[in-house]
Amino acid sequence: MNKYFSTKMSLFVFAAPALLLFTVFCVYPLLPEIWMSLHDHDGFRNLGFVGLDNYREVLSMPSFWTAHRNTYLIVGISLLLGLPLSMMLSLFMDVQTPRLRRFFKTAAMFPAILSVTVVAQIWLAFYEPNWGLFNSILHSIGLSDWTHSWLTEKKTVMPSIGLSFLWQYIGLNAILFYTGIKTIPKDYYEAALLDGASFAQVCLKITIPLLQNVIKYVLILSTLGSMAFYSHVRVMTAGGPGDTSRTVIYQMYYMAFDTSQFGKGTAIAVIFILQCLFISFVIQRFVARGKLEF
Amino acid sequence: MIFLKVLSRLFWVAVGCTFLFPLYWMVTMSLKSKNEAYANPFGIPASWDWLNFGEALSKYHFYTYFQNSLIYTAGTIALTLTTGSMLAYCLSRMQWKFNSAALFYVSLGLIVPIEVVVIPLFQLIKTLHIKNSYLGLILPYSGFAIASCVLMLYAFLRSLPKELEEASCMDGANVYQTYFRIIFPIVMPALMTQCVLIFIRIWNEFPLAFIIASKDQFRPLTVGLLSYFINVGVADWGLIGASMLLSSLPMIIVYLIGNEKIENALTAGAILK
Repeated sequence: MNKYFSTKMSLFVFAAPALLLFTVFCVYPLLPEIWMSLHDHDGFRNLGFVGLDNYREVLSMPSFWTAHRNTYLIVGISLLLGLPLSMMLSLFMDVQTPRLRRFFKTAAMFPAILSVTVVAQIWLAFYEPNWGLFNSILHSIGLSDWTHSWLTEKKTVMPSIGLSFLWQYIGLNAILFYTGIKTIPKDYYEAALLDGASFAQVCLKITIPLLQNVIKYVLILSTLGSMAFYSHVRVMTAGGPGDTSRTVIYQMYYMAFDTSQFGKGTAIAVIFILQCLFISFVIQRFVARGKLEF
Repeated sequence: MIFLKVLSRLFWVAVGCTFLFPLYWMVTMSLKSKNEAYANPFGIPASWDWLNFGEALSKYHFYTYFQNSLIYTAGTIALTLTTGSMLAYCLSRMQWKFNSAALFYVSLGLIVPIEVVVIPLFQLIKTLHIKNSYLGLILPYSGFAIASCVLMLYAFLRSLPKELEEASCMDGANVYQTYFRIIFPIVMPALMTQCVLIFIRIWNEFPLAFIIASKDQFRPLTVGLLSYFINVGVADWGLIGASMLLSSLPMIIVYLIGNEKIENALTAGAILK
């Protein structure tokens, strides 16, 4: 049967379209990316080979390093603050009544299905300095000194944007964790409770170790997702004030599409792809050795 | 003890409500007049003012953007699911010496975020002369969605018994008939999961659309809404609320109807072994 089915023709018909799409639009762009990063390119014409000059210039720009600090701040916020919070939410979700859990899951996943434009604009209103939610609350509880012009002050702008991102995906991650928790056999818990283990002990000794694979999955998704952080910044501050809230991807967009320096933009992209590859490799290699599949 | 239980429940309902607060805010804001939006930005509107919706519908090209979003999403789903499932079928059931190599090759697609290749994609789409057409976004979206589609369907197809095709082969069906009449309906659940995933991702996609769909008539909702915000400025939040609610409404309706399906789809990757 297999001989009859797997003719050259049928193999071609089945494999070629997807492989072609994938190669042309997902893999091939990496080649012009590298090629362009070695040239002076304004988006229309190639103005000549410049070797590693783009890289040298990009690395010497202060905005490049600001952008990296911001991107890794977002990665830090979503991994060090977001994932533990999501884990806590999911552990508590597990001990709720079904009806409350249903409500909670529906509510928690809601921000993740909204578009970035909408979420960012909502938070723009929350951070509004005169009538925004945060300043209104601070005024009404007598902490007027703590009010800020959140998105236009250099110190508060990045954490503020980070909070909106955190809020958008914390619930979804909690649900991902919870899905993993559901797959753990209930007998493990019963045995532990019979031995007199506390809720905290059960979480730390049973639930979290058995969730390794799910944790790794969420870790990879969150890391790559926050590395590519861009859209919230575009809508909320457009990188401002000045260049204080640009992320790496934003800086890349800025170089290419706002200043027509495609060579420098692609140089940033190449440097950034290497970072993404390195980080995925580290996670694959050192976190939960079990095999990860999607 | 009972008091504590009630307290913890109330706490949980409150935490849940913080996720829903923006929905409340969008709805109430959209019903407020320009003056009330400033005077009372977070409370319940004193009187219901539906004018914002009328104005938003006339100035904000909601129908165009909505139609574009629909075309991008449906096009990507159709293209990805057809080509992706065929490749998955080929890799899991047909005899081809490059099967495992091709599988590895496709799985590389999970590592590269679409944002990092925006610049070469932009150039490529200009070269192919599809910049101002729907294909300009559908093709790259599909290229990037194929990796996870193939891997998920591959896992699904491997668990099916070979007898299915043997029986079909005995009946004299060729590989195409077998695939579309027998296999396709069986992999429907996995395809539906992918369908939901791609729908959510593409419907809300922003970074690539922002660059490629620069002409207003090709903008999807995400990008069109941003350009509308920039036009309105910070002058009229009631109008902004109405346009936000209009833009989110299709997704909210889908979510209300199928939130358990959406949840299952979003979590499928986490527990698939």
